[in-house]
Amino acid sequence: MIKKKLSKTEILFVVLSLTVALSCLTFYVWYQTELIRLGLENQKAQETIKQLEEEIKSLEAQRSSLLSPERVEKIAREYLQLTEPNSNQLIYEEWLAEVKK
Amino acid sequence: MKIQNSNLSRLRILIITGGLLLWFLLIFGRLVELQVFKHEELKNEAIEQNRYIREIWPTRGTIRDSQGKILARSLPVPSLFLARVNGEDKDTLLERIASLQALLPLSPREVQRIKNRIDQGDRFIWIKRKISWEELERVKQAKIPGIFAQRESKRFYPLGPHLAHVLGGVDIDDLGLGGIEYKYNEYLQGKKGRVLFRRDALRRKYDFQVIEPSVPGRDLYLTIDSNIQYIAERELERAVLNNQASWGTIIVSNPTTGEILAMASFPDYDPNNFPPADPAAQINRAIQENFEPGSALKIILAAAALELKPESFEEVFDCSTGHFSLGGLVIRDYKKFSLLSFPEIFIHSSNVGAIQIALELGPDNLYSWLKRFGFGEKTGIDLPGEEDGIFRPPQSWTIHSLPHLAIGYEISVTAIQLLQAINIIANDGLLLPLRLLKAFACSEGLEVLPSPAPVRRLSSQVAREIAEKILAKVVESGTGKAAALAGFQAAGKTGTAQKYDPFLKSYNSTKHRSLFVGFVPVDKPAISMVVVLDEPKAGRYYGGEIAAPVFREVARRVLLYLGLTPQFSPDKIILASSSKTRSQNKP
Repeated sequence: MIKKKLSKTEILFVVLSLTVALSCLTFYVWYQTELIRLGLENQKAQETIKQLEEEIKSLEAQRSSLLSPERVEKIAREYLQLTEPNSNQLIYEEWLAEVKK
Repeated sequence: MKIQNSNLSRLRILIITGGLLLWFLLIFGRLVELQVFKHEELKNEAIEQNRYIREIWPTRGTIRDSQGKILARSLPVPSLFLARVNGEDKDTLLERIASLQALLPLSPREVQRIKNRIDQGDRFIWIKRKISWEELERVKQAKIPGIFAQRESKRFYPLGPHLAHVLGGVDIDDLGLGGIEYKYNEYLQGKKGRVLFRRDALRRKYDFQVIEPSVPGRDLYLTIDSNIQYIAERELERAVLNNQASWGTIIVSNPTTGEILAMASFPDYDPNNFPPADPAAQINRAIQENFEPGSALKIILAAAALELKPESFEEVFDCSTGHFSLGGLVIRDYKKFSLLSFPEIFIHSSNVGAIQIALELGPDNLYSWLKRFGFGEKTGIDLPGEEDGIFRPPQSWTIHSLPHLAIGYEISVTAIQLLQAINIIANDGLLLPLRLLKAFACSEGLEVLPSPAPVRRLSSQVAREIAEKILAKVVESGTGKAAALAGFQAAGKTGTAQKYDPFLKSYNSTKHRSLFVGFVPVDKPAISMVVVLDEPKAGRYYGGEIAAPVFREVARRVLLYLGLTPQFSPDKIILASSSKTRSQNKP
């Protein structure tokens, strides 16, 4: 049996074909892996955004609670020792204009 | 020999080829079975393994006051559940629940419910819904198998009991059960959506696709100003406690727009723990309590008389007897008067004089004018459970009905109906429907609801006459002197009514209801208000004694808050009419 010797061109063709096929396969695998990795990262980022949005909402509600008129008045009266002004302590610009006349 | 070898080789080749063919056929057959016959089933299994569809619950809309302050908001909280795996026996599960009891406040009733569900063989059992994040952390650290957490949202009311009756409350599933939460549930709750998640081999989500987007609930802006609400609630609580009243209510509105600025009821409750333990605390007394208004109803009598017979204003009535008798009914004045002019009857709240005017008017006229002011029917305020009041037609009246109606008996009204009536006077005879919803939030910002069209119920001239010549005088020199404010001219009417005792089947002279209804300033009303106190037991019970001072205190603080310049300086110099209010219309 006589084996036919492959020409250099043929060998080169086979090698190149294999290289291209392997490259394509590698690229495809890399592409898929990267797609999943980015998907995971995106998912994580989305969750972080959602979490931060919820935190903002929670903080806004907390702010509303801290600024409740009852609490503010309590602090003003008990902590800062403030009292309501008497009517003679209130001066309106309109009054001043009237006096000037 | 060569031929024999050749045949043997051919046979071997045939056997190997046949074997290979058979092998390929088997594989092909299997492929056909998997790809063709079991295609749907296996496809679904594959989908099940790497993707799943989840329902996305929308976030309930936020409720804000007219200044944008948050009154109700849904925030994420964890809920604990027990997932039962095949083969796990009842005792193991009960042991887990017992160990959870040390970490979570579980009531005996809750524990019993969980045990019942375990007995029934349920695979998914709620342990406790809407717990705090700290509680979840404690449970997580204990690492109890089979216990998992799921994210839900919980309604949070940052101002606690403030505005409880207006806001109402929600159930465990965040569905509105009372107040604004119920009335506008359709807008607040939003729409559920569905999302398809893809998972990798480790079951981590790496991609998602929105199949049906969830629509978040819409944010609402109320006409309520939480600062004015606070002023009203504080003064109401003080008045109820000081006068040992059973309950009380205050409503403050802007008569020129029909916007409710405050609606307070006492006793109240915390909507964060809805429903309240005491069902009586849940009643919104401003719209859900019918009562006889007493002399406060004389305002409508005056309006009807002046509209139908303008010359009535100049008439003088003999009230010197001090009492009115008809068919066994005796109605007395609180003190003896002599001759009283038309306005004086209302300024001094003479029952005898009011009955004479009512008799001149006749039953049909009085009935139609009371109807014209909206009594006997809902005002249409955007809150659930509003009462109609009780007002019978003249056909079912007795001979006592007309004199009774003249002084505010034989008719039951709600506080909001009284406010609507005074708003007609304050607004030059125009009725503007009362409302609580100011705007919806939308992508462009705010969708402010248009103001409802005003309806004329009384001529402008009569309305001004009643406001300036009667109601302002009630506060200046009549029964409502305690409502007088420094710097502003206020107008109003007092009311005191004996309560009907169903056991005695008559009016009880020891049980009263006191009220004051009015507005300020007279020339350009910025606020109107009704104050009702039920069964004061601390000695004083006249509306002018206990309800009028509450009006004064609330009005004084609200006018200061709104930045209105007083009409009179301390030196009694008359200044220009009241200036514009501070950014009231800014939601």
